[in-house]
Formats: sequence, structure tokens, C-alpha cells
Amino acid sequence: MISSMRISRSSSAVVSAWLIAACLSGCVVSRPEPTLPPGAPLPGETPPGETPPGSTQPAPGPGEAQPPPSERPPAQGPRQFRLGPAATALVTQAHAQAGSGEFGQAAVTLERALRIEPDNPLLWIELGRVRLGEGNAAQADAMGRKAVALATGDPSAQAAGWRLIADSLRARGRDPEAADAEQRAGTLSPH
Amino acid sequence: MALYVLYLDLLVTHQFEGRRWTLPAQVYAAPLELYAGLALSPAELEGELQRLGYRRTTALDRPGTYRVQGERIDVALRPVRFADETRTATLLSVVAGPKGLESLRDGAGQEVPVLRLEPLLIGSIFPIHGEDRIVVTPQEVPALLPAALKAVEDRKFDSHHGVDPVAMLRALWVNVRARQIEQGGSTLTQQLVRSYFLSTRQTFTRKIREAIMAMALDAHFTKADLMNAYINEIFLGQDGDRAIHGFGLASQFYFGKPLAELDLSEVALLVAVVRGPSYYDPRRHAERSRARRDLVLKVMAEQGIVKAEDASAAARRPLGVTSRPAGAYYPAYLDFVRRTLRRDYHDQDLTEAGLKIYTSLDPRAQEQAEHALERELARLDRQHKRPEPLEGALVVTTPQSGDVIAIVGGRNVGYDGFDRALDAHRSMGSLVKPFIYLTALESGRYNAATVVQDAPIDLKLANGRHWQPENFTHEVYGPVPVVRALAESLNLATVGVGLDVGLPKVADTLQRFGLPQPPLQVPAMLLGAVEVTPLEAAQLFNGLASGGFHNPLRAVRAVISADGKPLKAFPLEVSQVASPEAVYQLDRMLVEVMERGTGRGARAVLPAGLTVAGKSGTSSDFRDSWFAGFSGSHLAVVWVGYDSDEPTGFTGSAGALPVWAHIMAGLNTSSWEAPMPEGLAEMHIEFPTGLRVAPGCSDDMVAVVVPGDASIPAKPGCSFPDNGNPVTTILNRAEQWLRGLGH
Repeated sequence: MISSMRISRSSSAVVSAWLIAACLSGCVVSRPEPTLPPGAPLPGETPPGETPPGSTQPAPGPGEAQPPPSERPPAQGPRQFRLGPAATALVTQAHAQAGSGEFGQAAVTLERALRIEPDNPLLWIELGRVRLGEGNAAQADAMGRKAVALATGDPSAQAAGWRLIADSLRARGRDPEAADAEQRAGTLSPH
Repeated sequence: MALYVLYLDLLVTHQFEGRRWTLPAQVYAAPLELYAGLALSPAELEGELQRLGYRRTTALDRPGTYRVQGERIDVALRPVRFADETRTATLLSVVAGPKGLESLRDGAGQEVPVLRLEPLLIGSIFPIHGEDRIVVTPQEVPALLPAALKAVEDRKFDSHHGVDPVAMLRALWVNVRARQIEQGGSTLTQQLVRSYFLSTRQTFTRKIREAIMAMALDAHFTKADLMNAYINEIFLGQDGDRAIHGFGLASQFYFGKPLAELDLSEVALLVAVVRGPSYYDPRRHAERSRARRDLVLKVMAEQGIVKAEDASAAARRPLGVTSRPAGAYYPAYLDFVRRTLRRDYHDQDLTEAGLKIYTSLDPRAQEQAEHALERELARLDRQHKRPEPLEGALVVTTPQSGDVIAIVGGRNVGYDGFDRALDAHRSMGSLVKPFIYLTALESGRYNAATVVQDAPIDLKLANGRHWQPENFTHEVYGPVPVVRALAESLNLATVGVGLDVGLPKVADTLQRFGLPQPPLQVPAMLLGAVEVTPLEAAQLFNGLASGGFHNPLRAVRAVISADGKPLKAFPLEVSQVASPEAVYQLDRMLVEVMERGTGRGARAVLPAGLTVAGKSGTSSDFRDSWFAGFSGSHLAVVWVGYDSDEPTGFTGSAGALPVWAHIMAGLNTSSWEAPMPEGLAEMHIEFPTGLRVAPGCSDDMVAVVVPGDASIPAKPGCSFPDNGNPVTTILNRAEQWLRGLGH
């Protein structure tokens, strides 16, 4: 069922790189909440169904305390994606599964998380990493691009998306393109 | 004669020894994921539990029960096998407030971040002869059931040798007097033989054969074996083409829960049904079956199986059957499941091998969708008064995952017939327009504010004929901005744009988004002379709803074998098929369709403040009424029309839109609020003319999104602080506003 047999030497290297990255994304998850300006809705007060749980928090800033009258709330501006508790638990489980080579199971677990937070780029990056781990670089690439699109306004999530794209390009021997992708990541968020 | 007996003996032992019921694949809905923050009210949670056959108690004494204590609901979850995990019976405490679930804890009081309820069994894939069953082991059978069967059907079961001569003679006497077969007098073993080996035709020779075979069975097998075989074999109901065999399936079919959880009154009802599943059908003949159930209870008390007071208490209970039979609820959805699996499995694998199939069906969304379609079609029929009833079909997906969560194939939802969602190939009409404008946006030569000509068109075709399309209103609108041409679904303007970007480009866009066949590249393609099924239309719009990423729509998530081995997974796959910038610009225009265009009628039905995007579709002569649209978390495509292809007399906005709006309103859905990609800018233009305006400059303006470097002519007399670039305009405004805060 799982094509773990097909992992080439280079993609095992990618996997170990990812396991390190997994720790990093764990750090993203546990980052303290930004302080919200007075009057902004608290996370718990967001009406359910309006926003997926824990998807984004607008970064603090006077410009976002209240949208100007008769304007849509700004779609852009700095954002920082984080995972809600349910998705965090599932990502932890998926890391354990991927760590023991069960990429298919890890992907299924991450799909559960994605059904809870479909717009969270961090989850698409996680799933892309698993696809890369099982040797499916094309899907990893597509999920990286999906993540970059969803992560508009969050440079660090966008950078993580570009790094996934770079790794998936390298896994297919497309080194010059990979270098470009890596560079985009670097510009967005230096290592 | 001796040889004949020997032959029957061999036949019976051989067949019965190697007996293996063919096990139709069981199909499950998506499990409901519970987690703190999920928007699910206490009543909805209770509804979900009841749908799974959980019973409200005060004791919480066994799996399959729950109790409500104020805001807390304690659930004794049954053991369950998911595609990727097996879970033992477990306790769960959920605190549910008016805004949704607040916390989940396990039996030890530990916080649980996320937990799935068991998936609902929604049906099975049974063979042509229609025999469907769920096989149960003796451990899964409540002790009352064999006792009741013996008391009612065959009191000497434990001691006779397969036949009961006294009962047979009594029956024979009755039958001779009546000169026809009226009374059975059959033992359980004989009934088993009849069901297992013989036709149901009643003749005297057949009776003799049956008796010999029953004696043979009795000689070779234990009573416990025979009882278990009986419980799994016997016919207990009919549901269309589907024959309900065995108490395991009957329990699900009538009560929606496992056999092990049936109480006395429920066991008694199933035993009552044995005697005549059609005559004592508890759904169709409630009184009759109730009388027989009470008779069964009385006999059970007389025979000392239960206490008299328990029997009379059970007799006071309602029948307790679910309003609709469990399984085969959703023929159109199961149809899609079957077709998906046919690529990988032979029919026999599906109908015999006991596979478990896990799907994405969302029972709540499915029921909402069925009701919305039924109700709105009935309303339209009353308005239009045609002899032929209107038909409809619809598909609901969650766009980012590509999960198909509901399919309705026609207004008679229980009917396993023509599945319009998958098989009705209808002209897509104006549903094609978004793909024309997307192609135009991708060319870099158009944006939402680009002024295009809505002017008469006269094309000489290859066959010498002239093609002269018209607008729906038969009027000509002159110069209009693209956002308006799409919102008001102007045919002439759209054809102009489509011819300018080129038919091959538009055809390519459609195919990138998942159109299975290359469309015929004729100008009429630009007005939707492209046949699609509702499912295919959903596939096309799914790519618009997920930012230009294509995911193959899927109903099946995983298949596992009878012994729990994973056989096949259908993983989430995405591919980018359009630039996110172009799709975002288009989607913002589709929001304007809902705000001020042909979709605005949905406003009255949708929750206030819900941002949605969509497009109506009307094919030529009003034969097809379509609506396709999406929120942040759901996509729905609705088709309404006549099977005969007669004109309906109404547009997509009048026919399909109300159905669509009611579906969206019934789902717990979120606003479409994709982030604006970098390099784009939001600005205001005058809706009729497309001229750039500042707020206050026009009483008919619309916000559009264009490439940041687009230059849009300003309305004369409308002053802009920087006289130029819209991005800086917005930045300047924001800066002014920020300064204003400081004062």
C-alpha cells in the first residue's frame, strides 16, 4: 500500500531534513499568541463557522484595530498562520507515523487535519513533506504551491512553502529551478 | 429412494459445510470529527448520536448509550474500525455550549484534542439477485433472540431431529381440509433449508425433500451452528431491489443500530417479522406488526423466557423503527461510489468479499440537499403547472479537499433509477462564462474594469449559416466593464471576449479544470453549447473555488478487506491549473454576481454577511436551469430541468438558484474570503461604465480587483489625491485614516 520501497537515497535525506523541519514547525505552533488590540475579537469569540479554528491571527497593529468605515476588512497585511489544537494533535500523530515510515497513514492523518482547517498552509506543507517522503515529488510541489497561495501575507509560511517546492524540484533533479525557489524562500524569510 | 436420501444428505452437508454467505461491501459515511471549537450545538450532537443508533439513558451502562447532564453529554462509544485505526469501546464527555463544542474529555478526565464518532453505515453493494446481509457471530446475538425464535417458531428445536412430526401432521390436517398449503409447521431447520437450498414454491414433494434435508442437517451439525446459520440467513424485509437477510442487517434496517444493542421489544418485533416480512412490515403495517410483536412478547412470558411484567412493559413501548431504512438511503451517492470502485474491482469483489468502503458522504449535508431540492421543485411545479414534473440534481463538495459530500440524482431520492447527477448530460449554458473570462484574465489583456462591447454579432459559419446570438433581454448594452458583463451574464459581450481570446484557449481552460471531453470548438461553445453532467460541472467549479487548483473529486477515501487490511486509498491530489492571481480576480467578480448580478436573489435566503461567489446558467430556450457557486468551505452545483428536455420557461436564477441558496443556508458554511494575492489591487469603478471613481463620486460603484499596474481611466470630475496608481491611492487613504486615528 505504501510505496516506502521507492524512497531513493536523496529522498531519505529529504525525510531527515523534514524531521528537523518538523521540530521547527512545532515551534511555529507553540509560538505565543500575539497580543490583540483592544476591541478586536478574541479567538474564542470568533463566531464558529465564520473562521476556521486557529487559522490566522492578524498581527497586532493600529491599522487593524478597526477597519475603516465602508471598507472590507483588509485582506492583506501581515498574518501569522498557526494550527488549532485539533490540527496540532493530528500533526503530532502524523509526524510519529511518518517517522516510522508509515507515509500513507501519516497522509491520512494529515487529511483529517486538513478537513478541519482546509485553508491553513502549514497543513498543506506538512502533507507535501509526507508526499515527498514517499517519493511523490510532483504532489509535494503542487502542495507547496497551494501553500504559497494560501499563505499570502505570512512570509514565514510562504518561505516554508517555497522550501518545499525547492526540495521537490531537487528530488527530480531540477537543481537550477530549485535554487530559484530556495532564493525566493530566503528573500521572504531568511533561515 | 435410499440413493435419493444419500444424495440429499451429501448435498446438504457439502454445501452447508462450505457455507459462506456472500458479503456485500458495506459503505460508510464520513465520520464526524469532534473537537473544541466545532460549531455543533448540543441538539445537533444528540441528533448525530441518534443517527448512529445511540440510545439516551441515565445509567450509561453499555456501549451505544449516552446521557445528558446539563451542558455535558457523556457517550459510551462503541468499538469501531476506521480505515486507518481500530478503537475499542471508550467513554467520552463533551461539553457543548450554544456556540459549539467547548471541551472533550475521555473516561479518565483527560482532555481529548480531537476524536471521531463512528462512521454511519449508509448502505451496501449487493449483487443483482439483491441479497444483502450483515453476518453476525453468536457473541453479537442477544441471548433473547434464539430463545424467542424457539418459543415462537419451533419449541422443540433443542430436542427434535430436524423435523417436528406432530407439528407437521397438524399442519397437514389443516392443509388437507383447506385443499391447499396454508400452514407451515416447519421447524427452524426446515425454514433454514428452504431459504438456503430451495425455492419458495410450495409443493408436497418439495415438502418431503425439505424434511429429508432438514434431518440430514440436524444429524451432521450442532444446534448452535444451525441457530447461528438461521439468524444470518433468514429473509426479514424488502427495500426496493434489496432483500434484507439475517438479523444483523435487519437490526440496522429497522432500528439503525447493531443487533447486540436491541432490547426486548425490538427483539420481539424482529421475531414477529420472520413470519411475514411483507405482511408484518413495521413501516407499512404498524398496527398489524405491533399486534404480532405483542403476541410474541406474550408467548415469551408464557414460556418463562422473560418476566410477565417485563413483557408487558415492552408491549407498551412504541415500535421504535427508524423512519427510513438504514442503508441504501443514498442511491445517487452509492452509484458514484460503485463507479469509482469499478475501475479497480470486479462486481463480485464488491458484492461478495465483505469489503468495507469509507466515503466522504456527509449525512447532514445530504439530507439538507435532498430536502432543499424536493421543496423547491414542488414550489416551482405549483408555479408553472406543467403536466411533466420538474426534475433536478445536485452535487455538494468541500473544494479544498475535493470531497464530494452529497449527491442527489433526482427528486425521488429513494429511487435507485436514473441518476441525473452522473448521467444527465445537459448544456452548461452560461456556466461556461467564468471560464471565458478566466481565459481573458490569463491573457493579460483584460481585467475586471476592461470595457468590452456588448454589440450585435453576426458570424458566418463554415456551413454557410449565420450565427446571431442575442442577450437574454434581446437588448444590446453597448460598452460595459467586464465585471458587469459577467454579473449580468451578457451574451454578446461575452461572445466578443471569447472570440477575441480564441476558442482553442477557452476550450483549453475548460479541459484544464477537468472537462473530460474536448468541447466542440464552435462559436456556440461560448454560450455554453457544451454538455456536462452536474458532477462534471462541480468538478469545473471546484477549481475556481480552490484558487485555481484542480483536485479530482472523490467519494471514496479508502477500502479495507473483510479482515481489516487496507486495500486501496484514494489520497488527496492537487495540481495547479491556473494562475492564483487570475482566479482571484475572477472569483471577486463571481462575488459581484451574487451581490448585484443574476445571483442576488440568494441574498434573501442566505445568512446575513455570508460572502459567496457563483454563476447562474441558462441554456438555450430555457431547457436547463443551472446554478454553481461556493462559499469558503462548500461548493454546490444544482441543475433543474425536464427529463424530456422541454423548455422550463425559467432561467438559472429562477430555477436552480433558490435550491442552491437553501442548500448553502442549511450548511454550516463559512464566508469566501481568500487572501488577495500579491501584485493585485482593489479599487472602485462605476458599475455601468467601468470608470475609476473615488467613494462619493458615484452612486453605482463596485469594488474590483485588478493587476497592481493596471491603468483604469478615471471618471471625469472625480479627483484622486495622487492622480494615478490605484495601489498608492489605497495606501494613501489608509495613511490618511491612520493619521486621523492619531488626532
